[in-house]
Amino acid sequence: MSEKVKAVRAYRRNVALALGLLLLVFVLIPVFVKSPYILNIFVLVFYMSTLSMAWNLLGGMTGQNSLGHAAYMGLGAYASCLLITKAGANPWLSAIFGMIVVGLVAGVIFYPCFILRGPYFTLVSIAFGEAMRQFIINSTFFGRASGVGLPFGRDSWLDFRFGSKVPYYYVGLAMVLLIYLLMKKIERSRMGYALRTIREDEDAAAAIGINPTKYKIMAVVVSAMVAALVGFFYASYIRYIDPDLMVQAKSTESVLPAVVGGAAYVEGPLVGGLIMIPLSEFLRAKYSALLPGINMLLYAIALLAVIRFRPTGILGWYMHSKTKKFVDEKLLRKPPVEVFEAVELQKHSGKEA
Amino acid sequence: MSNTPIIEVQHITKRFKGLTAVKDVSFSIREGAITGMIGPNGAGKSTTFNMICGYYPPTEGKIFFRGQDITDKKAHEYTKMKIARTFQIMKPLKNLSVLENVVASCYFGHAAAKSEREARERAMEILEFTGLFDKRHILSKDMGTPDQKRLEMARALATKPELLFLDENMAGLNPAETEAAIELIRQINRSGVTIFLIEHIMQAVVSLCEEVIVLHHGEKIAEGTPEQVMNDPYVMEVYLGTKGGAAHA
Ligand SMILES: Nc1ncnc2c1ncn2[C@@H]1O[C@H](COP(=O)(O)OP(=O)(O)OP(=O)(O)O)[C@@H](O)[C@H]1O
Ligand SMILES: [Mg+2]
Repeated sequence: MSEKVKAVRAYRRNVALALGLLLLVFVLIPVFVKSPYILNIFVLVFYMSTLSMAWNLLGGMTGQNSLGHAAYMGLGAYASCLLITKAGANPWLSAIFGMIVVGLVAGVIFYPCFILRGPYFTLVSIAFGEAMRQFIINSTFFGRASGVGLPFGRDSWLDFRFGSKVPYYYVGLAMVLLIYLLMKKIERSRMGYALRTIREDEDAAAAIGINPTKYKIMAVVVSAMVAALVGFFYASYIRYIDPDLMVQAKSTESVLPAVVGGAAYVEGPLVGGLIMIPLSEFLRAKYSALLPGINMLLYAIALLAVIRFRPTGILGWYMHSKTKKFVDEKLLRKPPVEVFEAVELQKHSGKEA
Repeated sequence: MSNTPIIEVQHITKRFKGLTAVKDVSFSIREGAITGMIGPNGAGKSTTFNMICGYYPPTEGKIFFRGQDITDKKAHEYTKMKIARTFQIMKPLKNLSVLENVVASCYFGHAAAKSEREARERAMEILEFTGLFDKRHILSKDMGTPDQKRLEMARALATKPELLFLDENMAGLNPAETEAAIELIRQINRSGVTIFLIEHIMQAVVSLCEEVIVLHHGEKIAEGTPEQVMNDPYVMEVYLGTKGGAAHA
């Protein structure tokens, strides 16, 4: 028995070590990489992956395809920016305000869609985004089409304002990690099981005692709040927002990392974001001068290739690949699943480990 | 044993657009017993079942649970009342493993697990009990019909019901598997669970049920012990076809 415990511990240590090294690499990147262009791409990866994780809570875990995440992000950006510029509030508190506002709006708007079954949610999410954009374009309070700018000034943590990209890099990294841990926690919780059961079969969900409407609302509220946080981060980073933030194409962009990485996995948006966003930036930089729009075309081809040949995304492939087998068995020395269970059961029965 | 029936169905009717699937049916289910419902294909058995389980409301009539009117209760409120069901057309959570399917159930209902650990432990016990333990890491979509039927049962049991509805949970099983399933149901009943089942396999109905209700064209045409029902001339004529009762309908 204690052999098994040792094997499990050794494996956990190897995983922690691998993850620790990965984190260390990300922490050290700004120390060695000084190019603002490259750092900007990393910041982009961080916040777009976070937005995509927000999407994935609905699209991947709950099976509710949203095409309105740019609107939650935009609304979050507007709510926090306006509180900063009009009321002089502290940015960090404004971020929380933005998240609450967007969470409430999403809950109220989507409650009726979830009582009905079917594709209503997706349709309403598209309409919601466009309606919000039109509303802002026509509202003086929201700055109409010319948008809202955040004040510039001296570097300050209190005002979350910096000339360099490095602090944004670290805050972005912290945000992506925090939201990842939150999603991981949700996945393993009662809520995570409820959402996945709803995704697989709503009748089965109801039969075991899950109220589908309640859990779908919870998912949309959490998802919208995370998107609002990304909106706040974006606004603080770019220091200017306008209604174009909410165009439909931006909502689609939030879907891509999850779909490419593997929407069934909490890690999907991270893997997809790390690949697709640099790729998109690279294509833009390299080819858009040759022929305007060709970068989008190449991007679309790359995307179609992934979806066509790997409908479950990159992680869907990886999970059943020889590569994973090799990594698990040879590098991490993962014991067979029975060993984990034996250790788990033994722990519970309170025996000496 | 108490005198109020655990379920009492009063004059329920279900109309789908033009079609009357169930017509003015009344019966009751005795607490602690195994009650069966039989009838030819399309007789309205599943429809009756679905109304009692809150899947859809009856067009007319009322349903009582221990004397309380539950006609308008939603499907998701049932496991809180300690009532669980299976589906005739299985609804496994396809992309989840067998274990995860059952863990999900352990998280809900009147005895919802408080922690992941508790949910997993209870799920393991139920998998062992229903004979699915060795398949716990398989995706449920990759299993055959007999195992998916078992999974339906395991998921229902995971909510710790006092009243269990089984809709053709033995269809597609071979004789040995049927025998095992009968034993399993008897064991569940002995542990104190009232059972209401729909079944085409007569061997199962005869050996398990104390009481049988027969539906035909949406109407109740007989009720009583299996022997009484089998010997009812009308039942023999419309349902069993030949005298003495073949093993299959
Ligand atoms: N949702 C529905 N909409 C329309 N008609 C329905 C619906 N559900 C059932 N029916 C019809 O109602 C009748 C009774 O169906 P039901 O499923 O209750 O039969 P059953 O006795 O369970 O049959 P089986 O032994 O084949 O399972 C059938 O004619 C069926 O086509
Ligand atoms: Mg049926």
